[in-house]
Amino acid sequence: MEIAFWILSAITVMGAIMAISLRNVMHCLLSLILFFFGIAGHYFLLHAEFLGAVQILIYIGAVAVLIALATMLTRHITGEEGPREVLGGKWWAGMGTAAIIAGLLWAIIRKDALARLLPTEAANISYTALVGDIGRALVADWVVPLEAMAVLLTAALIGAVVIALEEVIRKR
Amino acid sequence: MNVSLEHYLMLTAFVFAIGLCGALSRKNAIIVLMGIEIMFNAGILNFVAFWHYKYFVSLTAQVFAIFAISIAAAESAVGLALVIAVYRHYRSVDLDEMRSLKG
Repeated sequence: MEIAFWILSAITVMGAIMAISLRNVMHCLLSLILFFFGIAGHYFLLHAEFLGAVQILIYIGAVAVLIALATMLTRHITGEEGPREVLGGKWWAGMGTAAIIAGLLWAIIRKDALARLLPTEAANISYTALVGDIGRALVADWVVPLEAMAVLLTAALIGAVVIALEEVIRKR
Repeated sequence: MNVSLEHYLMLTAFVFAIGLCGALSRKNAIIVLMGIEIMFNAGILNFVAFWHYKYFVSLTAQVFAIFAISIAAAESAVGLALVIAVYRHYRSVDLDEMRSLKG
């Protein structure tokens, strides 16, 4: 468990750092897929097998392909930024904010009062949430949020199409 | 030394900060969206870690994580559609060039 945790953490952190620091957008996307795989591995390690499968299906199967298509539809087909600067105008402010947030989170987690509240061992490994249990819970206890999510996804789909088509409609 | 919840909290805090750094400092709008996805994933991993270490018999956290993943997917679809719409208008995905509202 421990060795797997450190390997997966290394993959996750490396993928995240490469995804935001490389110049070529396509390389960033491939690093992001590595990061998604690391997170999915963490889910499997935490006995959330269904979430791991969902992570691979939705993030690597759908979101990554969506980002790839958006990258190809915009100007930089290869994603190459060229000799131009990749960082935004006030990048130092963004990095400073991120460093301050990281320090604050670190301080909060390291605080003794919180550390005493946190359990060190897993609660009960004998029970594993089966996919069938999650499915039954989704259509029994959480059926209203599930339907709301269906409406939200439909609205997002229609909204995305309308936003992306806006200019074409206006030209006619 | 076993892997505790604190390890996961440290990892997710670090990954969240990386995503925030990317979302705030990069110029390409698509990479900003990638940073937002990284932050989303760090938050959801936090949910699952808390579920594993504290509420293992309950399914609520897993269902909540599934809903969060769905919302993240919808957000990413709308965000990329916005990027494409903005690209049609400005012929660029550089955030520094989108300053029409700036006086």
